[in-house]
Amino acid sequence: MEDLKSDRILEIKDDISNELRKAGYAEIGACIQCGNCTAGCPSGRRTALRTRSIIRKAILGLEEVLSDKELWLCTTCYTCFERCPRNLPITDMIIFLRNLAVQRGYILPNHLNLCRMFYDTGHGVPINDEKWNIMRESYGVNRVPPTVHTDPKYVKEVQELISSVGFDKTIAWGKYAKKEEKAEKK
Amino acid sequence: MSNSLRNDEEIKIGVYVCHCGINIAGVIDVPALTEYAKTLPNVALAKEYKFICSSIGQEMIKEDIEAGLINRVIVAACSPRMHEPTFRMVVKEVGVNEFLFEMANIREHATWVNLDDPEGAFKIAKDHVRMAVAKLSELKPLEVERVKVEPACLVIGAGIAGMNASIDLAKEGYDVYLVERTATIGGHMAQLDKTFPTMDCSACILTPRMVDVGREEKIHLMTYSEVEKVDGYVGNFDVTIKKKPHYVDQEACTGCGLCAIECPVICANEFEVGLGIRKAIYIPFPQAVPGEFTIDMTKCIKCGICATPEVCEPDAIRFDDKLEYVEIKVGTIIVATGWDLYDPTELKQYGYGKYPNVINGLEMERLLSSFGPLEGKPARPSDLEPPHSIGFLQCVGSRNFRPGGNNYCSRVCCMYATKQARQYKEKHPEASIYIFYMDIRAFGKGYEEFYESAGRNFGIKYIRGRIGEVYEDEDHSIIVRAEDTLLQKQIEIKLDMLVLSCGLVARYDADQIASILTIQRSADGFFMEAHPKLRPVDTLTDGIFVAGVAQGPKDIPDAVAQAKGAASGAASLMAMGEFAIEPYYSVVLEYKCSGCKSCQSLCPFNAISFDVFKNIAVINKALCKGCGTCAAACPSDAIVQNHFSDDQIFAMINTAIPPLAKTENGSK
Ligand SMILES: Cc1cc2nc3c(=O)[nH]c(=O)nc-3n(C[C@H](O)[C@H](O)[C@H](O)COP(=O)(O)OP(=O)(O)OC[C@H]3O[C@@H](n4cnc5c(N)ncnc54)[C@H](O)[C@@H]3O)c2cc1C
Ligand code: SF4
Ligand code: SF4
Repeated sequence: MEDLKSDRILEIKDDISNELRKAGYAEIGACIQCGNCTAGCPSGRRTALRTRSIIRKAILGLEEVLSDKELWLCTTCYTCFERCPRNLPITDMIIFLRNLAVQRGYILPNHLNLCRMFYDTGHGVPINDEKWNIMRESYGVNRVPPTVHTDPKYVKEVQELISSVGFDKTIAWGKYAKKEEKAEKK
Repeated sequence: MSNSLRNDEEIKIGVYVCHCGINIAGVIDVPALTEYAKTLPNVALAKEYKFICSSIGQEMIKEDIEAGLINRVIVAACSPRMHEPTFRMVVKEVGVNEFLFEMANIREHATWVNLDDPEGAFKIAKDHVRMAVAKLSELKPLEVERVKVEPACLVIGAGIAGMNASIDLAKEGYDVYLVERTATIGGHMAQLDKTFPTMDCSACILTPRMVDVGREEKIHLMTYSEVEKVDGYVGNFDVTIKKKPHYVDQEACTGCGLCAIECPVICANEFEVGLGIRKAIYIPFPQAVPGEFTIDMTKCIKCGICATPEVCEPDAIRFDDKLEYVEIKVGTIIVATGWDLYDPTELKQYGYGKYPNVINGLEMERLLSSFGPLEGKPARPSDLEPPHSIGFLQCVGSRNFRPGGNNYCSRVCCMYATKQARQYKEKHPEASIYIFYMDIRAFGKGYEEFYESAGRNFGIKYIRGRIGEVYEDEDHSIIVRAEDTLLQKQIEIKLDMLVLSCGLVARYDADQIASILTIQRSADGFFMEAHPKLRPVDTLTDGIFVAGVAQGPKDIPDAVAQAKGAASGAASLMAMGEFAIEPYYSVVLEYKCSGCKSCQSLCPFNAISFDVFKNIAVINKALCKGCGTCAAACPSDAIVQNHFSDDQIFAMINTAIPPLAKTENGSK
């Protein structure tokens, strides 16, 4: 049984749609909620992604549009954008909402790990699997190829770059990170 | 008599500032503006009042003129569109030339747009009053000229709109030339089976009207004809009509139809939107008016069977029939050319043209028609089995802001889908019917009740959500996928048939008609009315009116109402017998014109011709709309636009922008 006690009356705000407008997505106001996007969405056929609902929640400024994992289920195939009768750049707007989500601290653990990896090593996908290191050795080459993370000096430079655009703060304050930390403390 | 002012008479301007309730006075200090007006050159007096357009306000102006205090008038109030004619009448009534009047629009231009900036609004209002005074001081009295109006009307298109306008005008005693492109009158309404919201049978209400048209003596019906050329101007249009050859003597043919039985050539019938057949010699449908036959020469193989005396006893076949041009003179024109259906082929996701069981609304209309190809028993095109489930998809092509889509709502499809769904349910109560919609627009009289009854009495299901994907099953059934937006769930339904409720679009050749008649089209492609609210049946070209879907999508009641409006507009012009031309036209100064012809091609109203003997441009006053394009373009400065001459416009500019102060070193 699904949750029967509807425990809240939604509070609606303009802030998210205003952010979209400021970023040049005034089309948000033209959405007619026809559902064409959801109906054609190849991801939504298999997952919980409901494209129209994302747009709806953004219009109404419901924080859950940013906090729900649904936002990350879009594969950016652009099918909805191709068909929306109001010509909304839906996919681009979803990407914008993702950025907004991260700015407000909503980041998925895997994404956070990736960011941290990048901060720590200068690579999103570093060579950190012992298997590869051994294989490389067997070919007679360095265990780790000569890239950023072989030299702490370059890693530091990357970290400076990341700090200069404030990305370190964005990821450090991630709400998921906080939750994780809380869980760890407990 | 309205010309009492001589050019050398002293200029005495009266300025009347209107409060317009709180529209103006609520934002700016009207007494202060009035005081300011008194300080301007040539201003003899300035007054204020709550509503100058009221009879008290009008009297105020008249009294001052009659007392000899003023001889030119400015009203600082609203847009001249609204009340310029009112005040012109006022000054004219007491003997001042009506063109020695000016309006300063301080409502739309100053107060309305600066509600939160009274100071700025006041400054702008002062500018407007000052400019009006400067211009009025330069204005010259002008004479209104009148042209005769020929008491005959050309109606283009014999759909329900064109037929109604023609009948009305004929009954009022005017000659009507009704030109119809196809071989029959009736237009699209003849293709409909029943009509919403009353469900009367379309043919039952249309056919008697068609017969009336044929019978009315004053209506000169010209079917299978097109308008080739229109010259002249309001009251005096010279029209050339192209009469296409029928290849059948229309006088001799008795309409017996034996020829069509014998003709060996079978081709698609346009009237059945390709779902039915006809012969090369044909009438579009049995009740067609006129009922005489026509040979489609693009299909005819010239076998001559129809021409044999056994087949055509009256010997009416004329293989040597020729194209004919007819010239007529009319005073007014009504355009009622109707619509084409939106072609959904390009919307690939719906599979129209690819899946046989996806059809459009007009095709459904023919399938439902008791005199249609299936005699009113709709079947799936793939196997001719009656469908057990039908889906309708609304807003196909309409309300679509993608390239190639129509932004507007077509206004009839919500209702025609509901009608068609009901018609099918009446005969097949066991069938499931789903209408996929974004909004249901049931705005007309009786429409909401019609919509309600579709759910209550017929069990038609309305699903709020656009279909996103359409697939075909092995048995040609149609699988549609949509979101039920109210449940927030994706749904999938297998249907026997899918009907696309396509919208109405402007005729494919609307551009050609627009250029023949020099009328405008709006962004949606339909012909543009002169004013969306106050002049909905006039075009911007005097004497030319528009009716029916030619002006924009509408249902039959609205098309008929507009036709009556257009007929009344045309009739009032013809009843007066004369038409007053605004004296704003441009004038060529013969001594300056170098004959370069620059202006001729620029005129959007085709008002400029060329006098080869004098080697000068000539402007037709009646055609000129006073847009000023030619006056601005003339390299020899040889064109003056009345009421907007260089002197008059520069007077305004010079007072609007104070002369640039010289800087200390003397340069600008
Ligand atoms: C599927 C469908 C169902 C509908 N059902 C209903 C209904 O139930 N009730 C309702 O109220 N409305 C209904 N409508 C709307 C209705 O069809 C229109 O309101 C009506 O046809 C408008 O008539 P009209 O005279 O403006 O145009 P048309 O019917 O299009 O008539 C225009 C005429 O002009 C002629 N013509 C075009 N160009 C030229 C030219 N250059 N020279 C000479 N002649 C020309 C055409 O041949 C035609 O005869 C329906 C529409 C559709 C698509
Ligand atoms: S397809 Fe476009 S208009 Fe329709 S619900 Fe999605 S975003 Fe809104
Ligand atoms: S009438 Fe209905 S179906 Fe047609 S365009 Fe308008 S809203 Fe869409």
